Amino acid sequence: MKVAGIHHAYGSRAVLRGVDVELPRGALVGIVGENGAGKSTLLKILAGELRPDRGVVRHEGRFGYCPQQVDLNDAFTVRQHLEFFRIAYSLPDLCRAEEIMEALRFSEFAQERVGVLSGGTRQKLNLALALMHDPDVLLLDEPYQGFDWDTYLRFWELAAQLRAAGQSVLVVSHLAYDVDRLDVLWRLEEGVLRAGAAVAS
Amino acid sequence: MSPSLVRFVIATRFALIEHVRNQFAMALVILFVPLWISLGQFMIVDVRVSFRLWATGQNLIARGNELTQISGALNAVTLIVGFAMFSATFSSGTFDRRLAMAGYPRPQLLLAKVASLVLASAVVSLYATVVMCVYWSPRQPVLLAVSLFSAAMTYGAVGVALGTVVRRELEGIFLVVMISVIDLALQNPIASKGADTALVRLLPSYGAMQSASAAGFSHSVLLSCLGVQLAWFAGAALLSLLAFRRRTRSAVTGQVPSSTQGAPCSLPTARRPRSTTRS
Repeated sequence: MKVAGIHHAYGSRAVLRGVDVELPRGALVGIVGENGAGKSTLLKILAGELRPDRGVVRHEGRFGYCPQQVDLNDAFTVRQHLEFFRIAYSLPDLCRAEEIMEALRFSEFAQERVGVLSGGTRQKLNLALALMHDPDVLLLDEPYQGFDWDTYLRFWELAAQLRAAGQSVLVVSHLAYDVDRLDVLWRLEEGVLRAGAAVAS
Repeated sequence: MSPSLVRFVIATRFALIEHVRNQFAMALVILFVPLWISLGQFMIVDVRVSFRLWATGQNLIARGNELTQISGALNAVTLIVGFAMFSATFSSGTFDRRLAMAGYPRPQLLLAKVASLVLASAVVSLYATVVMCVYWSPRQPVLLAVSLFSAAMTYGAVGVALGTVVRRELEGIFLVVMISVIDLALQNPIASKGADTALVRLLPSYGAMQSASAAGFSHSVLLSCLGVQLAWFAGAALLSLLAFRRRTRSAVTGQVPSSTQGAPCSLPTARRPRSTTRS
């Protein structure tokens, strides 16, 4: 994924003032910043959800995007969500999705309507929809919100597996608790990304 | 079945599931339609009135309560179908965009909405016609059902357009209700002084009202009025299409191949780097 010269403003308030991103293959990269720093705006632009005022975003290969807002349809069951996205991704089956459900421990909710699920389980499905097609680049916006501690740890195990498989994972968070799990940390400050240190061993 | 057709069928199935699970809309269909028509039957005087059918210039004779039932049935079907389509589109807006950006073809998603609209409009219109036939005998019941159907389709398309552009649910529901109330109240020849003026020809359900009135009380088939209604539907559907395309488009400059030929059936352990050049 190549991103160059991204500028974006809401009215007169400039949020991004020239962001460049080049995501290395097989890296776990984090972007942190204060509330309102523009992290979600940046990720929406990277995912194609928002058009920047200026700049270029170019994807090569498959990508997956887990938005901060849980984008699900309350009328459908978990299984129906997976089936709908299986068609969208042109997948032959749901094997991989089922493995992700097992890894995140929510297989037992497969037949439940999403509208009656807890916030944490909804977030697990939100994440699974971004992962189920084995993307080359994965964009995750606050992916573990609502997770309990065990699920939080399982999420990082999963992220490490993806990195080991050569996939690039970009995690956006307003917290910097997880810096030791990342290969690269960037801080979004005053509308630009400031390169942080490579932190993981 | 071709892959395109499979995607259309699956999207239609999910669109119908969504409608069936909209319990409020289902309750409206079951209760509101017969309630409105029955109130027209029993609360409005059944004296004969003469009114001029604007489309033909013909003077028709109808009982007041029967004419009110036609107006009430149009009001009920337009409100219900407009509300159901608005509600489904509004609540699944971000989900539809996510699906489209994941690779689901937008034409199939939109066509599925149209297919569910056709089915919902047909069911509600047929139901309203059957309820009216319990109380009196329209001269052309099939044409009456078709007229109701054309109005329901128009408001359904309006509902999709509103569901795509408004930001709050209440705004959309209010707009559907107000458009339908103003539209039909001004056309009621009993209640409105302006029912015979040129202004009513510009109202969204004018064609359906004229055609339904002719179906109820004459043997005339007003194809031109159904054509006018079809034009209203086409206009509303075009607006919906443009709004839907705008809402679900991807802003990424380069290629966005989020879909794939398939994924390995096990959690990845190692993958060889590909030869893809990245800048």
